[in-house]
Amino acid sequence: MTDDVVKNRKFMRSIFHSMLRARLLENKLSSLYKAGKIVGGVYLGKGQEAVSATLGTCLIPGQDFFAPLIRDQAGRTAFGEPLIDCTRTYLGSASGPMRGRDGNIHRGRPTMGMPAMISHLGAQVPVIAGMLFAKRLQGTLAGRVGATCVGDGATSTGAFHEGLNLAAVEKLPMVVIVANNQFAYSTPNTRQFACHDLVEKARGYGIGGFAVDGTDLFACASVITEAVQRAREGRGPQLVVAHLLRLSGHGEHDDGSYVPRENREDHYGRDCIDIATRQLIDHGLATEEEIQSWHQQFADEVQRAVAQAQQEAVPDPYREDWSALSSSVSPAHQHSNQKEPS
Amino acid sequence: MSVTYIDAIREAQETLLREDPRVFLYGQDIATFGGAFKATKGLAEAFPNRVFDSPISEDAMIGLAVGAAIEGMRPIVEMQFADFSSIAFNQIVNQAATHFYRTGVPIPITVRLPSGGTPGSGPFHSQSMEGIYAQYPGLVVLTPASVSDAYHMLIDAVALDDPVIFCEHKFLYRWLKAKSIQNDHLPIGQARIVRPGKHATVVAYSAMVHEAVRAAERLHEDGWEIEVVDLRSVKPLDMDTVLASVARTGRLLAVGEAFPWGGVTAEVVARTVSEGFHLLDAPPQRLNSRDTPVPYHPKLWAAHRPTPESIQEALRKLLNF
Amino acid sequence: MPTVPILMPQLGESIAEATVIRLGFKVGDTVRADQEIIEVETNKAVMGVTTLCDGVIAEIRAKEGVSYSVGSLLGLLEVTEEEVARTGVDTLESANENRSQANESEKTNPQAEANLHFALDESDAYEEAPAIEPNVKGLPVPTGTMGAHYISPRMRARMNDLGLREADISAVAGTGAGGRVTVTDLERFLDYLEAWPSVSASPMRLAVADAMRRSWTRPLATVGLPTLLDRVLEHRRSHTPKPGLTLYLLRAFALALTENPATAGYLIGDKIVHPRSFDIGVAVQVEDGVLVPVVRMVDQKPLRELIAEYDDLVDRSRRRRLSEADCKGGIATVTNFGTFGLTTGTPIPLPNETLILGLGAGVKKPVWSNQTETFLPATTADIFLTFDHRVVDGGGAGILLQRVSQLLQQPELL
Repeated sequence: MTDDVVKNRKFMRSIFHSMLRARLLENKLSSLYKAGKIVGGVYLGKGQEAVSATLGTCLIPGQDFFAPLIRDQAGRTAFGEPLIDCTRTYLGSASGPMRGRDGNIHRGRPTMGMPAMISHLGAQVPVIAGMLFAKRLQGTLAGRVGATCVGDGATSTGAFHEGLNLAAVEKLPMVVIVANNQFAYSTPNTRQFACHDLVEKARGYGIGGFAVDGTDLFACASVITEAVQRAREGRGPQLVVAHLLRLSGHGEHDDGSYVPRENREDHYGRDCIDIATRQLIDHGLATEEEIQSWHQQFADEVQRAVAQAQQEAVPDPYREDWSALSSSVSPAHQHSNQKEPS
Repeated sequence: MSVTYIDAIREAQETLLREDPRVFLYGQDIATFGGAFKATKGLAEAFPNRVFDSPISEDAMIGLAVGAAIEGMRPIVEMQFADFSSIAFNQIVNQAATHFYRTGVPIPITVRLPSGGTPGSGPFHSQSMEGIYAQYPGLVVLTPASVSDAYHMLIDAVALDDPVIFCEHKFLYRWLKAKSIQNDHLPIGQARIVRPGKHATVVAYSAMVHEAVRAAERLHEDGWEIEVVDLRSVKPLDMDTVLASVARTGRLLAVGEAFPWGGVTAEVVARTVSEGFHLLDAPPQRLNSRDTPVPYHPKLWAAHRPTPESIQEALRKLLNF
Repeated sequence: MPTVPILMPQLGESIAEATVIRLGFKVGDTVRADQEIIEVETNKAVMGVTTLCDGVIAEIRAKEGVSYSVGSLLGLLEVTEEEVARTGVDTLESANENRSQANESEKTNPQAEANLHFALDESDAYEEAPAIEPNVKGLPVPTGTMGAHYISPRMRARMNDLGLREADISAVAGTGAGGRVTVTDLERFLDYLEAWPSVSASPMRLAVADAMRRSWTRPLATVGLPTLLDRVLEHRRSHTPKPGLTLYLLRAFALALTENPATAGYLIGDKIVHPRSFDIGVAVQVEDGVLVPVVRMVDQKPLRELIAEYDDLVDRSRRRRLSEADCKGGIATVTNFGTFGLTTGTPIPLPNETLILGLGAGVKKPVWSNQTETFLPATTADIFLTFDHRVVDGGGAGILLQRVSQLLQQPELL
């Protein structure tokens, strides 16, 4: 099966496209941040593109659910989020999905299967479970998968544990990817968990567990495809732990200087884009020229998305609807929600 | 034949399950066992695959409800005790409450909180959390005090597109009875004057409405006419009814069972002072529980919360100002 | 013999009731401490209700197959005094003192009150609360609440609606706490006034009322001094045009003040504001009120130069043609109530001034002359100075008044 997956030209090229689009977009975001164009933080998924894009590519938009986290630009792109959603949210355009009410990576399209993350780690795990649970009750769960990504840090939260355990109890078709990028902000793995490998946790939850080299596109493609397939077949939640290194700071305000040089120079310090480029060429899945042209094409796409978002109106505090409720329950609108007693 | 407050809650859920296929119940021990307080007795049998026992994971219970609500369901989550909702606090105030404002997609979930003190329940099975949730934008917080309200407000809560914190009082569960559930009911967001009066207004909610009515009855023997307002919903807060009452009486006592620092009674007093200063004949007063954890022993408990005696005493001082 | 109640125990944190499925004993049976005597079933499990001490079953109230809520009385046990002492159990007799915590669930509801959405069960499910000190801070009635001294926000709002001030309600006897005037007292008083004829006060009247009421908030004192007027009257007769008597007083006052400027100081907080210019007002009686136009720099101009200015102001006052500027900036006022034939008065200064000098009517009197050592006829009048006692004392007022009196004896200097 593994061989079949990596020989799938369309699939592998598709993953790589999302990786590359995400990387070029994030490079641009970083430069916008350094030019003072972005208010608030910029959080990059540099080094995690292979894992994230593979997951996003394995999922079926319009059918599956995907709750991306902080470093999932590649997965979002693969799942169908247009680049403009990202640039609009970062640049505070009133036309973006969050309309200036939330920023940066806190964006989503909940009605299109992609909930908007909150900052509290692990919190999206039970939300994806709930979306799947709804489909079970509605009788339309068959063939669907829900997935979310977390980092090594999130595995220490109660929410992660509660959510994963609940998903296991409910036997939901869920994939949870832990991108172990070795640092939660500045905290290394040694201060985060005491097990040998986070994938050991899968056994405790009674769910499927996979470990993968997150810098290796081919490995990601075969392992994550396998995990998603198992979930889709109704074999319950699957935990995939990807080993890699965060190739940026926690955010662009952070130079990540606390990451020791030996970590950067070891196997997991490799850049997955470089590895993937070589893999595609070596296996005849793409030519060097093609990849060159993709760089140019995606850089143009990114530039257009940035230009458009920059020209759009920002939210107007005087016209903002300062209401956090969708229903009118104030005494002034008292009759709008009445329901006759049975 | 009489209907208790808990019967009303159970019946409301039965009605909802029967009439709305989007409704399902999720909570600890609520399926075959029927819930710690029997609020879901028999519902798992009557509605197969609609009533689920959850793991002891309050955070994940609300997270699941939020996800299900995004996908078109109307979950009702039972927290075994309101006190335990502290574990789900993050999902309630950060996930559910912010969702509509952030994304434009409403989260129609109802979180049932068995609230308030009963003798011998102690610090972790007695809390009143309404003030904490009311502080957060994006939540509706309901505190029914009557059997009919328990029924109708739960039906209304599920009909709302927004997350609702439904604070039901454990003390009222079996103590409060009505002949039947009345058909006429007020919409959410409207307070009710449960006892008319002219000398002072007591604003209360949940179980404290009954304590206030008792205090009013005793003061009636001395010729005082105390108006008692049942807020019914603490968020939204029906200040129109409160101010209209204070306009009649000139005096306000706000009574709540929650801890005294801030909260619903403080909000009622603050808004009355700022919006109705010209209506006041005396400084508005608040009466809450004491500023300690809720004690276990019934004798300590009875002196920790407002009682008809302490409400009466506070009213006499207010009337004598 | 003491009786010990057998109660439905709390069989778990969340258990509210349990069903009796088997009664193991009958009345008259002897039971031992900790023996299971009644079998009950909760939603969770079957359990036994145990006794706390040795005794004899005196009464069984529970019926098999019936559910009882926690705390319900299931039966009674007769126990010896020694056994009670040994085990420390609560007897029915001691429990009755504190009232039972039992919630007898079978008790029926009283009739629901028509205006209530709920019916209150008379049976307390919890112990009557002990007489405890409520945890509200006391609300002592503030001191000085008698009459109009304390006005609640509600009372103030009602008074504002009606255009009333504290002074207006001084006639109302308060029935509120500490003798406070309540809104009801006020409404009753207004109803009473309805029976009396009334007219609307003119704007002039209201303006004077407002100024006088504001001034009256200060501690005002009045001193008086008899003064010989013959020299002034003589001087006046020999001049054309004739200066008004008030003008002499005005000029004398201004000169006296230049020598004692501090007496015209105006107290604001911890500061005394001194006069910038000796501009002095003159009270002019007009229809339905008093106007006080101000004569400028009275100290700088001799009497004859002031005549035209003074006459013009008085004339315009009577015709109500004064501008706002004509009445501004005075530091003190002169009033000649002697023109009404009055000999004595205690005039009130304007609210923004500390002093007012009044002149009573001249009267022919025998006055002792040291020169001739006889009584000689003379025209005398009393002059009065009302002052804000916060700023000026009797001594200061005396010096000022004496000086005015002296200057009136030398009208040629004026």
